[in-house]
Amino acid sequence: MPRLLPCLVPFAFAATPSAQDDWWAYRPLQRPAVPAVADAAWPQNPIDHFVRHGLERRGLTPAPAADRHTLLRRVTYDLTGLPPTPAEIDAFVADASPDAYERVVDRLLASPQHGVKWAQHWLDVVRYAETDGYERDRKKPFVWRYRDWVVDACNQDLPYGRFLRAQLAGDELPGATVADLVATGYYRLGIWDDEPTDREQHRYDDLDGIADTTARSMLAISIGCARCHDHKKDPLPQRDYYAFLACFENIAPYDLEARVVPIDGARERFEQATATYAAERARLLARLREVAAAATLAPAPRGDFGLVAHYGGEGGSAARIVDDVGGHHGRGEGQLVVVPGRRGQALRADGDDAFLVPRLVQDSFSVTFWVRADRGGHGPTGGTQWHQGLGLVDGEVPGVARDWGITWFADGRVLAGVGDPDTSIVSPPGYDDGEWHHVAFTRDRDSGRLALHLDGVLVGEATGNRELLDAPASLAVARLSTGGRHFRGDLDEISFFDRALSPAEVCCLGQDLPQGLAAAPALAAAPELAALQRLQPPTLATVEVLAVRENGPLPPPSFVRQRGNVHTPGAAVEPGVPGLLGAIRLPAATPTTNSSGRRSALAAWITDHGNPLTWRVIVNRLWQHHFGRGLVRSSNDFGRLGDLPTHPELLDWLACELIARGESLKSMHRLLVTSATYRMACSSDAGGLAADPLGDSLWRFERRRLTGEEVRDSMLMVTGELQTGLGGPSVFPPMPAQVLATSSRPDEAWGEATAAEAARRSLYIHVKRSLPEPLLAAFDRADTDTSCPVRFATVQPTQALTLLNGEFAHRMATRFAVRLAAEARDLRSQLTRGLELVTQRPARAADVERLLALATDLRRDHGRDEATALQRCCLVLLNGNEFLYLD
Amino acid sequence: MHEGTFCGRTRREFLWQAGAGFAGIGLVDALSRDGAFGSDPAAASGGPMAPKPPHFAARAKAVIFLFMYGGPSQVDTFDFKPRLYELDGKTIDIDTKGRGGSKRQGRVVGPKWAFRQYGQCGKHVSDLFPHLARCVDDLAFVHSMYAESPLHGSAMLMMNSGRILSGAPCLGSWVTYGLGTENQNLPGFCVMLDPTGGPISGAKNWSSGYMPAVYQGTVLRAVGEPILDLALPAGMTRAEQRRLLDTLREQDTAHLAARPGDSDLAARIASYELAFRMQSHAPEAIELDREPAHVRRLYGLDDARTADFGRKCLLARRLVERGVRCIQIYSGGSHNDHNWDAHGDLVFNHTTHAGATDRPIAGLLLDLKQRGLLESTLVVWGGEFGRQPTAEYAEGTGRDHDSAGFTMWLAGGGIRGGITVGATDELGNRAVEKPFHVKHLHATILTQLGLDPNRLAYLHAGLDQKLVGVERVEPIRELIA
Repeated sequence: MPRLLPCLVPFAFAATPSAQDDWWAYRPLQRPAVPAVADAAWPQNPIDHFVRHGLERRGLTPAPAADRHTLLRRVTYDLTGLPPTPAEIDAFVADASPDAYERVVDRLLASPQHGVKWAQHWLDVVRYAETDGYERDRKKPFVWRYRDWVVDACNQDLPYGRFLRAQLAGDELPGATVADLVATGYYRLGIWDDEPTDREQHRYDDLDGIADTTARSMLAISIGCARCHDHKKDPLPQRDYYAFLACFENIAPYDLEARVVPIDGARERFEQATATYAAERARLLARLREVAAAATLAPAPRGDFGLVAHYGGEGGSAARIVDDVGGHHGRGEGQLVVVPGRRGQALRADGDDAFLVPRLVQDSFSVTFWVRADRGGHGPTGGTQWHQGLGLVDGEVPGVARDWGITWFADGRVLAGVGDPDTSIVSPPGYDDGEWHHVAFTRDRDSGRLALHLDGVLVGEATGNRELLDAPASLAVARLSTGGRHFRGDLDEISFFDRALSPAEVCCLGQDLPQGLAAAPALAAAPELAALQRLQPPTLATVEVLAVRENGPLPPPSFVRQRGNVHTPGAAVEPGVPGLLGAIRLPAATPTTNSSGRRSALAAWITDHGNPLTWRVIVNRLWQHHFGRGLVRSSNDFGRLGDLPTHPELLDWLACELIARGESLKSMHRLLVTSATYRMACSSDAGGLAADPLGDSLWRFERRRLTGEEVRDSMLMVTGELQTGLGGPSVFPPMPAQVLATSSRPDEAWGEATAAEAARRSLYIHVKRSLPEPLLAAFDRADTDTSCPVRFATVQPTQALTLLNGEFAHRMATRFAVRLAAEARDLRSQLTRGLELVTQRPARAADVERLLALATDLRRDHGRDEATALQRCCLVLLNGNEFLYLD
Repeated sequence: MHEGTFCGRTRREFLWQAGAGFAGIGLVDALSRDGAFGSDPAAASGGPMAPKPPHFAARAKAVIFLFMYGGPSQVDTFDFKPRLYELDGKTIDIDTKGRGGSKRQGRVVGPKWAFRQYGQCGKHVSDLFPHLARCVDDLAFVHSMYAESPLHGSAMLMMNSGRILSGAPCLGSWVTYGLGTENQNLPGFCVMLDPTGGPISGAKNWSSGYMPAVYQGTVLRAVGEPILDLALPAGMTRAEQRRLLDTLREQDTAHLAARPGDSDLAARIASYELAFRMQSHAPEAIELDREPAHVRRLYGLDDARTADFGRKCLLARRLVERGVRCIQIYSGGSHNDHNWDAHGDLVFNHTTHAGATDRPIAGLLLDLKQRGLLESTLVVWGGEFGRQPTAEYAEGTGRDHDSAGFTMWLAGGGIRGGITVGATDELGNRAVEKPFHVKHLHATILTQLGLDPNRLAYLHAGLDQKLVGVERVEPIRELIA
């Protein structure tokens, strides 16, 4: 049980924050006045006042508005990552109403594809990947739920502060939902070496990744460089780094294990159902007890009901466990001790004690005993193989063998089963409650039927092999037969029968009914027995999540680590936040049962409306992804090593606006993309270029290349194959053999996908650190080991090779051609349609003629048939600059 | 902070302009070099792989890193420890740390091969390398290497990227970032893998980390299609592709005409021509059949055991001739005995891997020398760590990992031949004389290539990141001629 202190030391504020640093990004947020502009007709909203004001001061003229096709294409990609469909284009072009564009924006923001597009921007920043890296590069279990959570958060327009609080401390939120827990998967996204050369140092490397990612993604502070020494340019002493790190220091190290948690509301439903169940069960059992008491004694069918051995704990020693039926005394190991039992005495195993008995049964049999333990056993969460638990009564033999066993699992489950083929029965959890429970495992060789009963009632059955189970040389009690995996708890009345007991017989034993097994025939005739067997205990609906966990409510003391070396602790530090933001303080942490509350305090501080960075940082990111770069280009660093804002007042105005709009990001998207600034054309005006070649004044819209995801998704879109469904485990589209060969285990490196899975949006492709998807990698996918604020946009010949010769591109071209052939009759109309699908504008005659000439030449000079010629034309279309670039 | 100005602009403004979309790139170092971009605007507009001047006169133009993945045993190869023969089978007190954790005692496994002296320098070399042994007067051995991790995952990253943490660019990325490459028709940083598979952590071993992907290693195959997606798709002819590309160029040129001055669009048009040329240049580079029979024999192409590694060594020479900057060849791949990771049967393992590489490596050195290329080509040999002088298990000859002391050798590229630097203890377990960290090796390689390891920097996450880390690192001066 976690130790709870009645009174915890109040969470300390940042130790003597340095005087607040006078740097633009750390100054308090103040809503600037919207400037007046000379050309009052131009602005669509206040953004345009700021931009136009700047242009007027520099004597620059804004570029003209983009045409409708260009604008629709731009905004559709920016908000959903996909091109508009022909129907959407036609509708928009034909819509003469004054709010036609605004309605398009609303439609796009309401599309579930919006979340698919915008989740990726966030995933880049938090270094999302689905494996750990290093030698085994293991999969992070259920990490994809975090990705789905981000998609949902975007789609549901989760207020930004809530979005951050869930990730930082969702587990500590009052009434935390499954989604809140999933959000804390944020802490498990980084690289993780499962066999570090220095475990403690690596734990701090992991914490450093968390602190650095949090500071850069949410605050745009490069705090990581203060790990070893004071920051060179910003007033970030090393002490501040370790104070910030202390907010996370109580996090339990990543252990690859997912947590099983009840789904929302399930706990309450489960408790109600459990009460109903318990009442009915008690009623039936009381009735059966009456039946047993009134029964006429039946003679034992054979001997003592087929009992061949019985270990009751009486009369032996630690070395010799007495069988008072057959004399097959057990050979004790360790120090089994005798304690008061369910009946008489019981045997207590302390984690390294056990006893061995001969192979008493191998044909049809039953094994019954009482067990009492206050802690669960071993075995993976959700495990279904009996031999992964701690041995209760066990005859396991390594490998495929005709063996069997009954074991004690995590969560207080009992598992029982046989080998060859492996067949297991899993009980419900919760038998680790410190009470006595009766376990009965029966096996009928003729039918292969296996049954597991707990407290006299069937909990599961299965059909195993029908062979003689003669693999084990002997059987172990209180440990696995193969050694190790010892049970810790009490066992009593361990009985072996040489036949499968009937349900009535098991009930007699398991409920300790009057007259014992002799009452079984009377019981078998009672309708209450059948009703009892039918009575299903309610199950708690659960889900597995990858979530954060702390080491209890009491964090260890924190220290500065000299030169970043965890083994050389220096001065003690209290949790705190960078002093350069001295104006606002970290609130006191309120510990919960399981955690320190420090992360909640940090989350409250980060999402405080007075925090000068948080709101500036996120509106800058929104700006970046709509306009090609942020108002501050270095969107992860607002410090002195970063760039200055090109429009500081606009940035502040947007940040204030976000707060005023209830932290709604969708509302900000709408504001940004409906501005006249966003609707400008990508002008090549010589005057503008000469005055401001970088476009810092926002005199025009900046052209951008599609992202790797957009390239791939668009290809799937034009072939008509794209699957737009949301969510779920990641998929494994075919990977070229040459790429698989770079893995150290080429045969196991990647999975398989159905055609539909392979056509899913790129967000859903498995993100494996040691094996990046080649097309996405070629087109500058974010490196997933550190926070990536801005993707590169390189131009390389390997990209040309990927689209020109790659298997995927060719398949897409082929299917594109098939689609065109089906949708248009002659080559000219097919090519016209193809051009329109790729460029989302009406085809120009010259472009059609050029492709027609190609097709003609290919047929005449290269002997290609019509379908192949069309496929080649499609390949040209998919390689074109107009396809890959967004005006 | 005061930022220097470049042609009247701040460094950062200049970068946004010169970097042509390289958002966030910190060509801190390139710009601090005298005249780097200032006097050569072509370098600024020629893209990230355009040749760049070194910091100082380079001794080597290219580096070939022969990566003995898995960790060869130093005491069975080049680090002669006569005392070990006497102790064979005896259990002694010895501190080791490997896959099996830290140990205070161990059973000595005597070297399984005899050592003989070779060359003018009289260097002891084991019988594992009868061919390479004849080149010792060109080799400089460092017996006192150490690394931070005795476990493959992190040790591989350390040898390739200087850090045990994943996410940093690899040596080849730093080299091409610093120097560009001389032949734009071939990748500047090529990696050749073992037929059994890549090393563990796969692509992380040639990743450009936080740098743009142009600097990542390209996996090159010595047979078949040399580079992914280089070969024409089935059913397409080169003439046909040319016709296709002409249409594409016309189409994109028309598109560009309506968008004058967009250098990205222009660069992308040019990239297709470059790709088209690569399609002929790269296969030409791997056409080893063009080499005369005696050269092919020199590399061991006539023997099934050595043919695979021999092809890669021969290809490496051809790549160096064609201006490729950094070539890494893996001996061994996958897991267990598919590489030098001799945990079980040392004799089987090392006989296999030395047998596959000895003649090809000797052939490479001889061939480079005969052609006068060795002077300007740095060859580096070694694994991510070495192996312990004691046995890993109760029985058998297998050795566990040893990162506390191991051997690497360098040759060519301004390295003094016939010398040995540093030493391990009497049993070859730990570096005791002049210990050198992996970063000293990296510093040496960069120095020979004309790059100052303490200046070659890249701004990332608020730090001027360097291959050798933040603290000043000297190259191994003793090695430099």
